[in-house]
Amino acid sequence: MSVVPSLVDQEYVPETIVREQSSLWADAWRRLRRNRLALVATVYLGLLIVVAIVGFFYTPYSTSHQGVGPIEGSFSAKHWLGLDSAGRDILSRLMIGAQVSLAVGLGTQVFVVSVGVVVGLLAGYLRGAVDSVITLVINVFYGIPDLLVALILVVVVANGKPSIIFIMIAISATRWMDMARLVRGQALSIREREYVEAARASGAKPGKVIFGHILPNSLGPIIVQATFGVPQAILFEAFLSFLGLGVPPPTPSWGSMAFDGTQAIQTAPHIVLVPSIALSLTLMAFNFLGDGLRDALDPRQKR
Amino acid sequence: MLTRGTLLYIGQRMLLILFTVIAVSGAVFAGMHSLPGDAFFSERIHSDEQERLLRAHYGMDKPLPVQYLNFITGALHGDFGESVINRGTKIGPLVAQEAVISAEVGFTALLFTVGLGMIFGVVAAVRQNSWVDYVLTTASVVGYSMPSFVIGSFLLLLLGKFLFEWTHGAFYYVIGWDGRYGTFGQILVPAVALGFPYASIVARLTRASMLEVIRQDYVRTARAKGLAEWVVIVRHALRNALIPVTTILGPLVIGIVTGGVVIENLFGVPGLGKEFYTSIFNRDYNIVIAVFTIYAGLIGLANLAVDLTYTVIDPRIRY
Repeated sequence: MSVVPSLVDQEYVPETIVREQSSLWADAWRRLRRNRLALVATVYLGLLIVVAIVGFFYTPYSTSHQGVGPIEGSFSAKHWLGLDSAGRDILSRLMIGAQVSLAVGLGTQVFVVSVGVVVGLLAGYLRGAVDSVITLVINVFYGIPDLLVALILVVVVANGKPSIIFIMIAISATRWMDMARLVRGQALSIREREYVEAARASGAKPGKVIFGHILPNSLGPIIVQATFGVPQAILFEAFLSFLGLGVPPPTPSWGSMAFDGTQAIQTAPHIVLVPSIALSLTLMAFNFLGDGLRDALDPRQKR
Repeated sequence: MLTRGTLLYIGQRMLLILFTVIAVSGAVFAGMHSLPGDAFFSERIHSDEQERLLRAHYGMDKPLPVQYLNFITGALHGDFGESVINRGTKIGPLVAQEAVISAEVGFTALLFTVGLGMIFGVVAAVRQNSWVDYVLTTASVVGYSMPSFVIGSFLLLLLGKFLFEWTHGAFYYVIGWDGRYGTFGQILVPAVALGFPYASIVARLTRASMLEVIRQDYVRTARAKGLAEWVVIVRHALRNALIPVTTILGPLVIGIVTGGVVIENLFGVPGLGKEFYTSIFNRDYNIVIAVFTIYAGLIGLANLAVDLTYTVIDPRIRY
């Protein structure tokens, strides 16, 4: 249902034509603020980050201390989110698990963006043989069952006890291609634009073209892609932890907490429910934020 | 349909798949064999002589490239070698039996995903901006954000605990299921858990592309001709709306294949994913490499099949 502008709307009214100038980023921020879901998601994620930071200094109970209350105890004033099968305080473990999830989610994207941008720019700017080789490598990587590679890496290389950095690298190794492909496409298209040609004609060196024109103009899509990459990485880590091959104990992770919960699903459902819901909410928040950012950063879309 | 160009394209793709499989499984093979701590480090070996015999038995006394060449030629003939842990167990038949179970679950998941996703997407698009649309759109983001094992746990909780009287724990931790004839519930529940997040994506994509297609002139023409509404929607609109949706099928197949590792472990389904997981813990390298190679080949073939369905759905696409 498209809105047909009436004649009245098009009538010349001097006051409405002159609009305050605003930069792309200010514009994007204005649009993002208007998206209520994205705003709620941002607030949730902000709170989560605060909780994770607080976890460095204070948790209600020690995360590894067993038997601080009744085993498989339900929600109570002393233990807000109950206790798990070993009598550990779930809220405390959830707080540390938030650190793990956020660190993996954000840290992985640092790797992915670095690798993806460099590889994508190389392929898209140089084209030719370099592009063909990189595209082939990307296609080969797309044919890899990512989770299986990560499992093999964790068991064989890290001997089943991976550090958090190792997990980030293992996830990035199987998840850099989307970013590389995106940046390659951006570079291919932007390098043909008139303003880049003008820059080149006035003597701009390749470095200037890449870092002055191509990269800044692909920043929007890169940010959106990275935002969507965060929940994927968190999910990936949760899968690994659920299989017992994520961050090794005693460090709690939402995935391993959920797995512990499935073992007690008949007697104490809250043990599986709490980390599962926390995980789902976090993934959802990142997805809503990604949706919001995509709408906000797409300048063709005027709302 | 099958023009010379198409056949050429299929041939090229098969070569790429073969290359990918060999490169990937070769890398895994080299990685696993170059590291210390293989299966022969276990306590069952008492003397050097015994170890030498074992290595000769598995052909591991040969140089690595030769070993890999032997493995690949064997694999191409359907012989994946022998389990390192359970000597005498041929991997080929073992894996073939498990592959059938995984395929049953996987295909059910695929049908569920595409079917449910398409129906929800079409319904949401047809009734755009109604409460049905809002409920389905919100539900799809929620569903997309729930990991398969979370949905699996919820289903276990619902069917295994709250509806225990009704289900009698029929599918709950199946022990001793030989897997050949899993009951409907044993297949369906893991398949739903596996497919649900992807069904949400399919629904979102279908809705978006339906909304675009439904405004086009030829749809209006079809309506003006006086065709029944469902004919317009299904035969005219949906057919074209499906083209963008097919792009998700590739990642979808990979997701279902790898997600199977988690879901099969959660539900105790004796399939390939569970085998992979147990073998990797037992350090049964031969099985790990065999299953991995099968998966890599499977994903390549699935992606090819997806690309070929484009031509069926959209005859304008030619290779």
